[in-house]
Amino acid sequence: MNEETPAATGRISRRQLLQWAGAGLLVNAAGTLLYDPIGRLSMPVNEAFQSLILSSKPTPEFPISAIEPDRSIVNSFRGTPAIDLANFKLNITGEVTNPLSLKMTEIQQMPVTSMTIRQVCVEGWAAIVQWGGVRLQDLLVLAQPRSSAKYVYFKSADGYYESWDLASVVHPQTLLAYQMNGRDLPAENGAPLRLASPIKLGYKQSKWVTEIVVTSQLLPKRGYWEDLGYEWFGGL
Amino acid sequence: MAATAGKLPKAQPTIVRLFHWINIISLFGTIASGLQIYNANPVFGGREGIHIPWLFTLGGWLAGGRNWHFALMWIYGLNLLAYGIYIFWTKRWRDRFVDDRDLKALQASSNPKRKAYAWHRLVYTSIIPILLLAIASGLSMYQPVQFYWLSTLFGDWQTLRTVHFMTVPLVLLYTLVHSTLALGIGDGKIATSFLNLKSSDR
Repeated sequence: MNEETPAATGRISRRQLLQWAGAGLLVNAAGTLLYDPIGRLSMPVNEAFQSLILSSKPTPEFPISAIEPDRSIVNSFRGTPAIDLANFKLNITGEVTNPLSLKMTEIQQMPVTSMTIRQVCVEGWAAIVQWGGVRLQDLLVLAQPRSSAKYVYFKSADGYYESWDLASVVHPQTLLAYQMNGRDLPAENGAPLRLASPIKLGYKQSKWVTEIVVTSQLLPKRGYWEDLGYEWFGGL
Repeated sequence: MAATAGKLPKAQPTIVRLFHWINIISLFGTIASGLQIYNANPVFGGREGIHIPWLFTLGGWLAGGRNWHFALMWIYGLNLLAYGIYIFWTKRWRDRFVDDRDLKALQASSNPKRKAYAWHRLVYTSIIPILLLAIASGLSMYQPVQFYWLSTLFGDWQTLRTVHFMTVPLVLLYTLVHSTLALGIGDGKIATSFLNLKSSDR
């Protein structure tokens, strides 16, 4: 081996450094250009995997003393909408035999479920939160989904929209919450009603829910963030 | 086995060189896409924390980073699994990793080449627990509810995030030390036997 080569001396030449930087730029650009086709290949696999391992049993909860109110970050795409509580109604329509239109007073008369679970954001942070509200399971028992029901859409007062697989909706810890950390749900966190569940990422948990539509198939619009590129299943 | 003077290392089987290359590429891909995800909310300091320069990230934005990360994780994980099966099936695990003779050589050998080789084996063996830790901590963050039993082993969420992130500097440090040691043995013949994909020549 020639003593003068960079490999022998352990030094890196300017040419080598430029080559590495060029390769880095190229890989970086390819990473941005190709993320969509890569997602089209991998997301169906990952979603099938998550759907397969989804347990219908409740996940272990934290003691209420473990809540971390300081760790919660408020995310919304258009700010907090103004909602007229006096005229507020939750509508449940679509593939159901008994469409419902419920006032908050009616919802609050239903059995309340409290859970202390970890809220995980797609961004990477998490917070332990106590939620209180009505199980989606119980609401769907009243609305009676038809046998064709496979998906559930959630529409919000601010225009946000989401869709979930039915199995995740009827999970015993999927709630329409109106309490948070032992108090009434604050407006910025989704009052009067929001989704709360330990089994989905935060962007799946719509705030200010006004309408639930049961469907037999997924529509071209699957969710605000999903339509911009996020994974649809978003399971945890 | 220990390399003795005058004995040149054989070229590695093609499948071993493939395991090695797939591991390198998928590992650095998961690191770069992981750093892209990291930038959405840095482990250290949150949104106001230190961000990774864009050149070292992959995907362009959070969704792009996640697409790459959760695509490459399969290639990375399945490659490691296939390597694990291979090394047990062929019984190579018996002499492939650091053993008593290497530890003895480190303490007592007066042969500097034997000592360097022992260091090399000690260091490359350490990548196995590092790679497994990356998978265990990653799966714990990806599916913390379905893999609750695994996730709770890491304590709270911040600890879990920190452990998963620490696999990045560990891998970078490992790469530096491992490549230096591998290039130093037999004038780099060991490194060539693992890296050269063209033929089975030395």
